[in-house]
Amino acid sequence: MSELLVKNACVIDPLRGINAETMDIAIRDGRIVEEVSGAAEVIDARGMLTMPGGVDSHTHICGTKVNFGRYMSPEDMRAGRTPRRGPMHATSGYSVPTTYGNSYRYSVMGYTTLLEGAMAPLEARHTHEEFIYTPLQDTMANTLFDGNWAIMEAIRDGDTKRVAAIIAWTLRAVKGFGVKLTNPGGTEAWQWGKNVSCIRDPVPYFEVTPAEIIRSIVEANELLHLPHSVHLHCNNLGTPGNYTCTLGSFGLIPDLNPKRQTLYATHVQYHAYGGSGWKDFCSKSEPIANFVNMRPQIVIDMGQVMFGRTTTMTADGPMEFNLYRLHHDKWSNHDVELETGSGIIPVVYRRKNLVNSIMWAIGLELALLTKSPWQCLLTTDNPNGAPFVKYPEIIALLMSKRYRDAEFATVHPDTGSRVPLPAIERELDWYEIAVMTRAGQAKALGIQEIGKGHLGPGAYADVAVYPIRIDDVDPSVDYQKVIEAFGQTEYTIKRGRVVARRGECVVDGSNATFWVKPRVSEAYDMGKDPDFIEKFDRYYTVRMRNYPVQEEYLNRNRCIETEAEI
Amino acid sequence: MIVKDAVCPFCGCLCDDIEVEVEGGRVVAVTNACELGTTKFMGEKRMKNPILRDGNQWKEITCDEAVRYAADMLLDAERPLLYGWSGTHGEAQCVGVHMAELVRGVIDNTSSVCHGPSILAIQEVGHPGCTLGVVKNRADLVIYWGSNPIDAHPRHLSRYTRYAEGFFLENAFRDRKVIVVDVRRTETAEIADEFVQIKPGGDYAVLSALRAIVQGKTETIPRTVAGVTREQLVRVANLCKSAKFGAVYFGLGLTMTRGKYKNIRNAIELVSELSRHTKFTISAMRGHYNVYGSNEVNTWMTGYPFGIDFSRGIAFYNPGETTAVDILARKECDAALIVGSDPAAHFPRRCLEHLSEIPVVQLDPYPNATTAFCNVQIPVAVTGIDAEGTAYRMDGVPIRTRKVLSSDYLSDREVLLQMYTLMQEAKGQ
Amino acid sequence: MTYLMLTGRTVNQGVTVENKTSAEYAAETSTCFMHEFDMLELGLDNGDTIRVTGPCGEVVMRAVMSEEVGMGTVFVPYGPYANHVVAADTHSTGMPDFKSHQVEIEPTDEEPKRVHELMEDLGGLAYDR
Repeated sequence: MSELLVKNACVIDPLRGINAETMDIAIRDGRIVEEVSGAAEVIDARGMLTMPGGVDSHTHICGTKVNFGRYMSPEDMRAGRTPRRGPMHATSGYSVPTTYGNSYRYSVMGYTTLLEGAMAPLEARHTHEEFIYTPLQDTMANTLFDGNWAIMEAIRDGDTKRVAAIIAWTLRAVKGFGVKLTNPGGTEAWQWGKNVSCIRDPVPYFEVTPAEIIRSIVEANELLHLPHSVHLHCNNLGTPGNYTCTLGSFGLIPDLNPKRQTLYATHVQYHAYGGSGWKDFCSKSEPIANFVNMRPQIVIDMGQVMFGRTTTMTADGPMEFNLYRLHHDKWSNHDVELETGSGIIPVVYRRKNLVNSIMWAIGLELALLTKSPWQCLLTTDNPNGAPFVKYPEIIALLMSKRYRDAEFATVHPDTGSRVPLPAIERELDWYEIAVMTRAGQAKALGIQEIGKGHLGPGAYADVAVYPIRIDDVDPSVDYQKVIEAFGQTEYTIKRGRVVARRGECVVDGSNATFWVKPRVSEAYDMGKDPDFIEKFDRYYTVRMRNYPVQEEYLNRNRCIETEAEI
Repeated sequence: MIVKDAVCPFCGCLCDDIEVEVEGGRVVAVTNACELGTTKFMGEKRMKNPILRDGNQWKEITCDEAVRYAADMLLDAERPLLYGWSGTHGEAQCVGVHMAELVRGVIDNTSSVCHGPSILAIQEVGHPGCTLGVVKNRADLVIYWGSNPIDAHPRHLSRYTRYAEGFFLENAFRDRKVIVVDVRRTETAEIADEFVQIKPGGDYAVLSALRAIVQGKTETIPRTVAGVTREQLVRVANLCKSAKFGAVYFGLGLTMTRGKYKNIRNAIELVSELSRHTKFTISAMRGHYNVYGSNEVNTWMTGYPFGIDFSRGIAFYNPGETTAVDILARKECDAALIVGSDPAAHFPRRCLEHLSEIPVVQLDPYPNATTAFCNVQIPVAVTGIDAEGTAYRMDGVPIRTRKVLSSDYLSDREVLLQMYTLMQEAKGQ
Repeated sequence: MTYLMLTGRTVNQGVTVENKTSAEYAAETSTCFMHEFDMLELGLDNGDTIRVTGPCGEVVMRAVMSEEVGMGTVFVPYGPYANHVVAADTHSTGMPDFKSHQVEIEPTDEEPKRVHELMEDLGGLAYDR
């Protein structure tokens, strides 16, 4: 039995409605408990800001395309190197760090749970292998279904239950957590070098539209009672005027689940663009945020862009090719048979560039214009908008109008006429930041019930203690202190152990992977469906028996079983 | 007993549809595999016990003694080289990286002498590729450039290209064109619809000519380029542009010749250019069944695919300096651990001369050319036969190899973990 | 006479590659495939032994006629024989010139050595003759 008591913590725990109360947190054997014995190890938090461990509900940290981002970028690897030190292994990389680099840097910032945003089912084993080497966070993987042949055929046949059955079989096989759609239909079209421009374009050969894919998979997702909603990267990312497409996609979504959203729309900054071309490119954050404000069934994340060098990577292959034709730097693409694709290019976001400046403003606007912080979560779509190490700066920008104005003075001078940002006075408070970085993320992922994102008894003892006393600091003025505090915890506690202290990771760690196994009836077991099996055998290049990810690939195996309606 | 869907641990095709018949702890029959794979599954010439070179003779030692020898060797070395890795599973490669980090050694894999130059090119211009099934189901044009699958990847043609069924091809054999580009008229050239024979060393010029034609600058092309006529170049460029889906597979014919990574860069840029006209992809014909896995593992753990030098504590990468051939030829390393490869058969003699002067420990199931330079060799189980573990196919698809029979041999991972544990203890960790 | 030496994979090399102490592996990797006119010029019959001299050494192989190679080019399967004459310079790439070596070829009466003999010449100790 191991016991730990964090005393005198200034706790913000939004899922329990706790806002800056001074209290003690008792921990036994990795879980939060009501009280511990006198023998417990004691940490005195001395009034420091204490929150549940950070949760990142959309980040790219592990798997085929992330690793290819490293593989093709020795210049990025050289931009962030640390030697082996104590229990810490050597790390490399700035925008796409090695697995240890990701894990240590997230841990130092207080993050304990990460969702890999895009896992191709055929290559799932790779994602899980890298999870094992991301030791200081619990991990889960969104699984890509945007160009899945069997699903598109079922949609064409109008058989939503079959869609659900295929998702169930696949999640179970690849140990996936949630359903991800990246440019639905577009990734299949891209395997012919084509794309879909928005939700009404039919996918070549399959003759289904993105709108049909989105709607059908949203329904299937709810039939399976998955913890998380469908996680959508809308069509037409990154093009001027795409906000209408985004609004059209949002408009497809009914409110189907009382516990959480029905749609999680990711990196919406990239989907909130006005204008008819790059010349009149402008922010359309207002209509997007207004729409979200009226639709409780939608949660978005920011996809904030920060200035500097990074690497973009997404399953959205055609978008990356378009970006390559703008940037003319190196370009990688990786299409995955019968399923999806991906693309990677390095980029530099520059303050002197008008488009980049507008993008920077849009992300902040979405967070400031969306009324409920539960509906707009803090992300950079790491590393697409910026590496996650920029989160503290984003927090400070959201909390300080003064900081925003200071930064705004340095961006492209024409930005002011294209964005509403300078007129927005709102400054988020500590509680709202806690929602956007852990509580809201856990709720959106549907993992609060299994003990993530809060500090109630029974929860995983994942705690972040930040070296700041919120009564002594006015974040709108002292934004540098905010940046410093969120950049480095005093203590990061994971599963009841201190794993990071003042910038150093102090244990080896051991990750747990959460995945979902929906229970379906015999009739909907695709593993026994003759048509599914026959097509698998004929068109995949891997045998069906060799496709499922074995349990050997799960370091700590945390299976979430659901009862499906099929 | 018949084991179905076994995974062949020979080449980068990583065929996973093999049937292996096992009787009395021996493989007695193999179905579906090519000649290379069948021979590997049936191979019986294993080394029995760990051996130690004692002056001019060999003596058998226990596994514990051998492991201790290896750990001490690495701990005593100032600049150890840990080389090979493509002939073992990923889990063992991970231990190797940790070992190299602990002793501040250099870890390199066989890609430095196969597709290392391809990786250098990818690091310059990227890589538009895809999984093999995308090609199988869609490609109506396949180009083998400087690669000879009939000899090196015998089932590549039947599983993915020439003789494969494809979802979007009505009659795949008829509808799919195959172009072979090579300096030799290989057997693969004989089954091509179009064979382009290049004078040795002329690949770069021919790739440049094709890029110019694709860009509409045919008039700049001389009558012949490296022995290839302008007419044929125009014909090939037109085949590429009019294809619905084209796929280039290149081999060591590009990486080992003059120009090396610049050849690959040019080929990738040709494909990027063609991507503006139609769908085109390019991929390397990776040799060892898990050489791509060694690149993947090294990359997620250190940031670099091969040639990683930990002597400064951080991971440092500079091919040509931190790669095995260079380190041996410069007589730089003072100990070598070899796992899953045979440098004595595949490295220039100058490298071997240095291997003979330093302590060498090898993990390999078979006696091989490197055995002659070993102080200790530890026979291990063969991944895919009596050990299981992860391998990455040439297109990046990870597959778990199956264990088709049990033996008393430890796996590479098990032996390496024992070494690593001793090394950690010695370092007080 | 000077020739361009290419090295590469063959099926027979692959089949014997996990059995390097076998006579078959030695036979395959000590074969130098040549154009028939080149052989004619050197007065070689199929299977005659030749001395191949490269920038860093020499080795005895056997000449075999092949229609796959052009005049002036010879092909040798990957292995210890070819590597006995290949230089270790990689021009800062990590990769030696495995496919672009100039070699001298002349007829000889010597027989090719066995693999273990080559290794012992370089300071190794044969394990399994």
